[in-house]
Amino acid sequence: MTSETPRRVVPQPDALTQPFWDAAAEGKLVVQRCQACGFWSHPPRIMCNKCHSLDMKWEPVSGKGRLYTWSVMHMQSITGFEDRVPYTTLLVELDEQPKLLLLSYLAGRDEGLEIGQRCEVYFDKVEDFTLPQFRVLK
Amino acid sequence: MVWAGKGKTAVVGLGMSKLTRRADKPLGALALDACYAAIADAGLKPSDIDGLATYPDQPFRGAGNRDGEDLVNALYIMTHGELAPDIKWYAQISTGMIASAPIEGVNALISGACNYVLFWRAMHIPRGTYNSFRGYQAGGDGQFGAPYGHVHGYQTHSMAYRHYLNKYNQKREKMAALVTNSRKNANLNPNAFFHDQPMSVEDYLNARMIAEPLALFDCDVPIEGCTALVMTTADRAKDLKNKPAYIAGYGQNTAHRPEYLTYMIDDYLEAGRPHAGKIYERAGMGPKDIDVAQLYDGFSPSTLYWLEAAGFCGEGEALDFVQDGNVSLTGSLPLNTFGGSLSEGRLHGMGHLAEAVRQVTDRAEGRQIAGANTSIAIDGSPLLRGSGMIFTREP
Repeated sequence: MTSETPRRVVPQPDALTQPFWDAAAEGKLVVQRCQACGFWSHPPRIMCNKCHSLDMKWEPVSGKGRLYTWSVMHMQSITGFEDRVPYTTLLVELDEQPKLLLLSYLAGRDEGLEIGQRCEVYFDKVEDFTLPQFRVLK
Repeated sequence: MVWAGKGKTAVVGLGMSKLTRRADKPLGALALDACYAAIADAGLKPSDIDGLATYPDQPFRGAGNRDGEDLVNALYIMTHGELAPDIKWYAQISTGMIASAPIEGVNALISGACNYVLFWRAMHIPRGTYNSFRGYQAGGDGQFGAPYGHVHGYQTHSMAYRHYLNKYNQKREKMAALVTNSRKNANLNPNAFFHDQPMSVEDYLNARMIAEPLALFDCDVPIEGCTALVMTTADRAKDLKNKPAYIAGYGQNTAHRPEYLTYMIDDYLEAGRPHAGKIYERAGMGPKDIDVAQLYDGFSPSTLYWLEAAGFCGEGEALDFVQDGNVSLTGSLPLNTFGGSLSEGRLHGMGHLAEAVRQVTDRAEGRQIAGANTSIAIDGSPLLRGSGMIFTREP
């Protein structure tokens, strides 16, 4: 038996990040939250970025946010994305906290996108992973 | 409070290798060319050099790690440099930005750790792998970016730039003024990669997109080459052949960063203001005291962020500030008078330091600002990290 080489770059989880991907596999978006001060941290951190507490736990978020900014990529320089250019990468700010930002991939160009548009999460199977992605509600 | 070290050290020699896309000799040999040129320029012998400082890391994906081929570590120059038989001090820096290494040199000289510091920055273009992400898995923070097709610094910068343009209701077309101005300066700079290639506004606007809204001419031109300089104390500098370029102050980016996503999208003012503030405070100066500014332009918007963060114009005003010749050689703030990384070549901030030295010592051939007394050189984006110095004609 062999495992196929992934055709597109996939996450390499570690002990800290595994719960994010486990939740995504169940169709849930979770973000790390400090239990001492309530600050959300993404990407996850061992220590709260704000109050330095070690008491960090994964909590579910609403999956809703706004389009903070985006980029349209033209370079063929990332494994598995060479044939997809031009494509768009979105940065979505979750409702839970200012500048709580997650990346998303959008096939094709950025027609009709405007900063501030509402976004909501959906889940996208890639190889053995489920990636949280965001659709823009235009 | 003005820094006790103000004016106590100076740059006394400069040297450069040729800047090309494909060098005809290994990077280590180019670095020795630049180092020996800087030492000779200072009127010193290689055996006078007893202190070394460098920032060797190559700032792109796909970089190798062979000393003398992919990068030039302190050990390489110690081994091959025929310098003082016993090097008294060295620093090899991989955080902050390029000026972080000569900052160490300044402090070493003031403390008496050595007599002369040689500082170099070598840049390499590897064949085939430059800026490509060829892995199949991404770990660390990259696992939240690469699977979405987001990996490179230019992608992060393009997102930040779109955010900036939207926030201040600006258009990317206005950047033509800054980029063509830097190209004009490069056309006067014999060392510049684009010395012989003018750029019109149409050329700028028609350039192919890299990651929108950044196009080809919004990105610095990668080159192979090395620039080096020699520093010493002000006392020793008095006896040497060149006018010294005194170091009035320095600063580093030490901002706290509460959020972090692969590469930061953050408030450039929050990071850049205290960074520039430290440079000014040590020098006992403000933006109005700066005659010529060399502000980092790895990507063209970084210069806008520095114009604002270093107080040369108000928040959101930089794109207007660079219009109508205001930052040209005859403008109110001559900017990137050597062409910047954009048009001289990607020396990653070293070109900015070298030009600041030249301007305050009347050595900026073809583009000298008459009577320039002070020049600031700041490297870094300032979204992420940085360092910088102010050089002066008088101590």
